[in-house]
Amino acid sequence: MSTVLPDEDLVLDVSSASSRPWQTVVWNDPVNLMSYVVHVFREYFGYSAPQANRLMLAVHHDGHAIVAEGAREQMELHAQAMHDYGLWATVREADA
Amino acid sequence: MSRSVTLEFVRIEATHLLDLFEQFDGVLAGDAASDPAVRRLVPDAYRDDEEAAREFRRLTEGDLLARRRSELGIVRDGLRAASASQPGEMVVVELDAASVGAWLRTLAALRLVIAERLGVVDDTPPDPADARTDVYEWLGYRLDRLVAELD
Repeated sequence: MSTVLPDEDLVLDVSSASSRPWQTVVWNDPVNLMSYVVHVFREYFGYSAPQANRLMLAVHHDGHAIVAEGAREQMELHAQAMHDYGLWATVREADA
Repeated sequence: MSRSVTLEFVRIEATHLLDLFEQFDGVLAGDAASDPAVRRLVPDAYRDDEEAAREFRRLTEGDLLARRRSELGIVRDGLRAASASQPGEMVVVELDAASVGAWLRTLAALRLVIAERLGVVDDTPPDPADARTDVYEWLGYRLDRLVAELD
């Protein structure tokens, strides 16, 4: 069985899409070890040790850090992966 | 990750850890709505958008908790098998590439659960008179060592 889908949905999707990127944000918590957070950033995102360390310190000192930017679905996948590691991550649209 | 890693426990540590894993399994049988420790393992993914947070939760919470239990199973079975097959004072667990991640995430998640039970909400150290504080700190030490070996 095969059908040709109308392309209205696709058109709607495009018209509702914003040009602003989405972000995955990791929040500070008093439990996760600094070494562990650095390890997660390196292993999951493939960041270099200095980059991962800088992000971890931003989380620690500023309370949060943007760890990725891009399409919303991708940012949700990242947030889910962070939750898998026990890190508290959220998704948001970048500020205009 | 290509390296293999070894975890060594004194037998009494291995026994306590297996007991903790059993308790953790019990916690994971609960749900996020009634237990804040489970809730901590499946936090809101949207801070200012309740509907998006609810939808994300609907789509991901079940999978997340199922993976948590599956990884706990890997870790517990590995430690249980090592304990049973090694009669001496030390219990050595060989971690392959697949089980390293399970150990990392399980130890980290277990600490989150104990921290919730201890009421850890900021950088104030937990009550040293509470026996669970020792367990919490010991798990932190083991996790930190494991991370150091991997990095």
